[in-house]
Amino acid sequence: MRLFSLPPRSARRASFGLAGRFALVVSALSLLSGCDFNFWRMDGPQSTIDVAGPVAHSQLQVFYTTVWVTLTIFVLVAAVLTYATFKFRARSDADEHAEPPEQSHGNPLVELGLIGASVLALVIIAVPTLRGIWFTYDVPEAEKENAYHVTAQGYQWWFRFEYNNEQIENVGQLTTSNELVIPAGRPVRIDLRGMDVIHSFWVPRLAGKVDMIPNRANHLWLKADEPGYFWGQCAEYCGDSHAVMRFRVIALAPREFNEWLEQQTSAARAVQAVAGAEQTKAQFASYRTDWKRNEAGYDPNFDLNPLENWKQKQFPEKNENPALVAKGRELFQAKTCFSCHVVRGHFVGGSAAYPDLTHFGSRTTVGAGLLENNSEQLARWLRHPNEVKPGNKMWTEGYQKNNIHLTEDDIGALVAYLESLK
Amino acid sequence: MDATVKTHLIAQEPKAPAKPLVLWRPTATTGLISWLTTVDHKRIGFLYGVFALFFFLVGGVEALLIRAQLMFPNNNVLTAQQYNTMFTMHGTTMIFLAVMPLSSAFFNFIMPLQIGARDVAFPRLNAFSLWTFVAGAIVINIGWFHPGGAPDGGWFGYAPLTSKQFIPRHSIDFWVMGLQLLGVASIAAALNFIVTIINMRAPGMTMMRLPVFTWMTLITSFLIILSFPAITIALVELMMDRQFGTNFFEVSNGGMPILWQHLFWVFGHPEVYILILPAMGIVSEILPTFSRKPLFGYPIVVFSGACIGFLGFAVWSHHMFTTGMGTVATAAFALATMAIAVPTGVKIFNWIGTLWGGHLRMRTPMMFALGFVWMFMIGGFSGVMHAAAPADSQQQDSYFVIAHFHYVLIGGSLFALLAGIHYWFPLMFGRKVSEFWGKLSFWVIFIGFNVTFFPMHFLGLNGMPRRTFTYDGNMGWNTPNFIASIGAFTLGIGIAIYFAVMIYTYFKGEKVGRDPWDGRTLEWSISSPPPAYNFAVTPTVHARDAFWYEKHHKEEIAKENAEHAKAEREHGGIHMPHQSIYPFIASVGMLIGALASSALDSNAGQHKLAFAITGGVIMLVGIFLWSLEGADGYHLHLDKDGKIVEDPHAKH
Amino acid sequence: MSSPAVSGPIDHHQDVTTSTGIPNKKLLMWAFLASDCMFFGTLISTHLVYRLYPPAGNPNPTEIFDIALTSFSTFILLMSSLMMALAVNAIQKGNLRSMRFSLLTTAFFGAIFLGCQVYEFWHFVVEKKMTITNSILGTTFFTLTGTHGLHVLIGVVWLMSMYFYSFSGRVGRKEAIDVETMGLYWHFVDIVWIVIFTAVYLLEYL
Repeated sequence: MRLFSLPPRSARRASFGLAGRFALVVSALSLLSGCDFNFWRMDGPQSTIDVAGPVAHSQLQVFYTTVWVTLTIFVLVAAVLTYATFKFRARSDADEHAEPPEQSHGNPLVELGLIGASVLALVIIAVPTLRGIWFTYDVPEAEKENAYHVTAQGYQWWFRFEYNNEQIENVGQLTTSNELVIPAGRPVRIDLRGMDVIHSFWVPRLAGKVDMIPNRANHLWLKADEPGYFWGQCAEYCGDSHAVMRFRVIALAPREFNEWLEQQTSAARAVQAVAGAEQTKAQFASYRTDWKRNEAGYDPNFDLNPLENWKQKQFPEKNENPALVAKGRELFQAKTCFSCHVVRGHFVGGSAAYPDLTHFGSRTTVGAGLLENNSEQLARWLRHPNEVKPGNKMWTEGYQKNNIHLTEDDIGALVAYLESLK
Repeated sequence: MDATVKTHLIAQEPKAPAKPLVLWRPTATTGLISWLTTVDHKRIGFLYGVFALFFFLVGGVEALLIRAQLMFPNNNVLTAQQYNTMFTMHGTTMIFLAVMPLSSAFFNFIMPLQIGARDVAFPRLNAFSLWTFVAGAIVINIGWFHPGGAPDGGWFGYAPLTSKQFIPRHSIDFWVMGLQLLGVASIAAALNFIVTIINMRAPGMTMMRLPVFTWMTLITSFLIILSFPAITIALVELMMDRQFGTNFFEVSNGGMPILWQHLFWVFGHPEVYILILPAMGIVSEILPTFSRKPLFGYPIVVFSGACIGFLGFAVWSHHMFTTGMGTVATAAFALATMAIAVPTGVKIFNWIGTLWGGHLRMRTPMMFALGFVWMFMIGGFSGVMHAAAPADSQQQDSYFVIAHFHYVLIGGSLFALLAGIHYWFPLMFGRKVSEFWGKLSFWVIFIGFNVTFFPMHFLGLNGMPRRTFTYDGNMGWNTPNFIASIGAFTLGIGIAIYFAVMIYTYFKGEKVGRDPWDGRTLEWSISSPPPAYNFAVTPTVHARDAFWYEKHHKEEIAKENAEHAKAEREHGGIHMPHQSIYPFIASVGMLIGALASSALDSNAGQHKLAFAITGGVIMLVGIFLWSLEGADGYHLHLDKDGKIVEDPHAKH
Repeated sequence: MSSPAVSGPIDHHQDVTTSTGIPNKKLLMWAFLASDCMFFGTLISTHLVYRLYPPAGNPNPTEIFDIALTSFSTFILLMSSLMMALAVNAIQKGNLRSMRFSLLTTAFFGAIFLGCQVYEFWHFVVEKKMTITNSILGTTFFTLTGTHGLHVLIGVVWLMSMYFYSFSGRVGRKEAIDVETMGLYWHFVDIVWIVIFTAVYLLEYL
């Protein structure tokens, strides 16, 4: 299993710091901000270079072709330009006032030759480009049978995924939000739909982006060679919170994928009260309240092994407080959360235009891939959604329109309930 | 044309005196009124330049705020909406209010001088273009002072985000109406330049003797008149959707948002060449001058410019490779886009050919021009990478694209425009910028620019999308963003030095006489600053680098000029157009109309319709009086030293 | 093209001395019309795109259009072009009276066309229930034909202005270029109408 991993930063920083005077100055400056100098490796979680599937790989190959061709031309032209600049420079006052050079007007042969050479260079780029266009457009014929179908819908500012093949009795197809789980090693064909404005579906390590445009049926295909956890993001400006419209793709081995489907198609988990009065008493946790706008909502440890962490998230937490969960479930109704959000098996009043929360607790993120899904961050989100994600509908159409106010205790109970939805 | 046949038509002098219908014929030569009523292409060019540089600073401040926000992950300098406003206004301002009018300033000031004309073909239309441009700039920026807010839908304004449903604020209305006015201004100016270049060339100035900058002006003007209609109609459709509830982009009634993208980019791509071709023209003037030899392969440079302009209309969909156009369309647009690289590359080869064998004098304009060649080359190569559609699907809307077009627009357009300011400054104001300070500003700008934008290639390839007000620290984007911000502030300092030097030079700079650079084209043949009538005698052109030829055939030219001067005196002297206030009034009417329809709300009891109609009426009155006062002018007579011997206005 | 050595003076405000021999005003109008082509091209494309991909519930144009009336107004507009040509011809010969008559007739025909269009719009909105807001067809149809109508209106105002101005005694043979330029505009508006009539009306009956 090849997951992206953060490189051992400190060692590299030391070796790179010697690279030159300029680098020293910059690194001195950048140490202030805790920078590292690995950026040239471009192996971040949304890298288009460190690819993990055939579509992104094909796109990368085309890119490399363009890089090598243009780099070759650049070196040649730049060398001539540099030579000309230094060779023909006027070095002294006498030079400047010398008789002007020969007033030549050009050389058609040289010019036509250069035009021919540039056309040739472009042909070298054009051939893989054309091949890439056809390859990346749709699942190859040979694999069509094996392709898995999903529909992805873009809303302001979150993603909804419909599993067209997974029907649930009396409900329809399986839907999830903001985390797309796919089988690894199998091509996945994703139908893309824009539900309000234009969005764009982009998981750089798996495939280039394709836009989700209202009134237009777009699609893309991708394949994750190995199981893994991939970062994705909306890539078309779609309003206030475009920057925080993110999502994740989790690729699982076939057996795990089927287990996951089984879990998801079942109704929401109900927490049973445990015997013993003391244990069932609601214990309110206290959460941080002094979040700054745009403050990071992730734990660096999560990134070290995200897929493993995602798997952990599929199991109920050990220190659940059934009474608190029950209180949260009541509040979910009392605070009208259910009128937008579906929790299959608990509440059915919700609509498709809002995220389905049936298995919310099994996701790794809150607020469309923005915050890590843990109690602390969930409490932050519930306390003031607009601070986290400006203009979002939970704030404008939920909290504001329905005049919802949550006390810290309410938040604690809701967090407990939501986290219990595995 | 043989003018001798037509002398009977010219000999109808003296003209009828000022007509009774005309209410007011302004004659002020100094003061505010003289500027509002001026029809002198040099004054209009100067005003274009001043407004453009002002908005360039505004756009620069917006850019620095963007970089301040992105300097650190999870930063909190701007709110999401403020940030979105900043990038929208930065793009709109830099394209429409800075680079285009700065090019326009040179079109106005330099082009008539280069073809040996005394003014543009329609001097009053020229004034109208200027004031309508100012009106458009006001409307776009009025949102800063209005509760509706400044535009925040992106400079591309993709429907349906810009529909009333998703942005009900007036911000988008300002953007729509402002761009409409700028469209009117640009088209009017471009029509004027086309007629001027085709029809007002000095005798002997054949098309293939036109200076390259004038050629690029002509091509750019054609691009403007053919591409702006597409965005004007798109904006009309968007405006109708917003104001009257029509369905052009209304998804629920079957509207297709993709249509907006097509209309926008049918304009948007030629617009890219509208921004770069004038810059290429300027560089094609500077490199030969400072190499002291003619442009290498003039016909091919001109032809490739035309080729770029023509192909520019056939590649718009390469901005839409990710919209799911299908394989064939994607392939066709990818190949067409690659084809554009050929004429562009040809220009680079020819510029290097121009340097080859020359005597390069490394003055500040030359430094900027060489900087242009280098930076444009890098921008061009990353452009080829975008042309490869599969690679583009990863780069589209990422910081890689930002790096690319800033290399083309700053490293390209802006460097050339800054070079042009340095180059023509002595001609415009008779003063020369200090070489030390000029070169210092060049190096600070050059380094700052590269430090800002080179790391963005890495950011883009590492998956950072554009138009995002925040990012997390775990994405590997921290260092490049930090470096880019440092670079941006360096660039800001460089620009500040540049401006300070220019302002100082304007007031206190070293005085220079005519032709300080040993120029090659006609504009250098006149004294600096140029007199109102430009040429004491309309020059006769014998060769491509007309002034270079004059300098090497002094006696022959002097004799010829003396004859022409005599003939011109006999036929009534130098004809000058009258000043006029009506173009200004028509523009004011348009401003009122545009403000009323964008800023007012008829439901809120504001008299939207009344104000809009008032604006329309003022505009119509302006246009009617403009046509009634007629296009006539007065005559100047010069003595041997080029001094005006008669009071120009005494005659009528 | 200019000959290399011209002995006469160059007066740039006398159109006849231009480099190409084409008067400035005429060249300006040609260039403007090229630009206007793109305006109409964009509007017509918008209309046709939505005719090619009509949304469900879009009204059927053949049930709405009154082809007889539109054919009549098209004919009238074409006749006005003839009168416009006569007006240009008259002023070039210096025949002011004849020009006035032709101008007036041209404007009158233009007004009839506008009248037909107003009636047509009223008919569509009130009786056929197609408004600019309730369907894509209405949106693109009214915008396109309305923009053309606006062009005709500007033309009529221009014609009438020229008609009245001719009584000031300042319109003569020398000003023929002004009438000719106006004529170019008028012919263009007519030609565009033929394209619109074909694309918007006739194609629906194929």
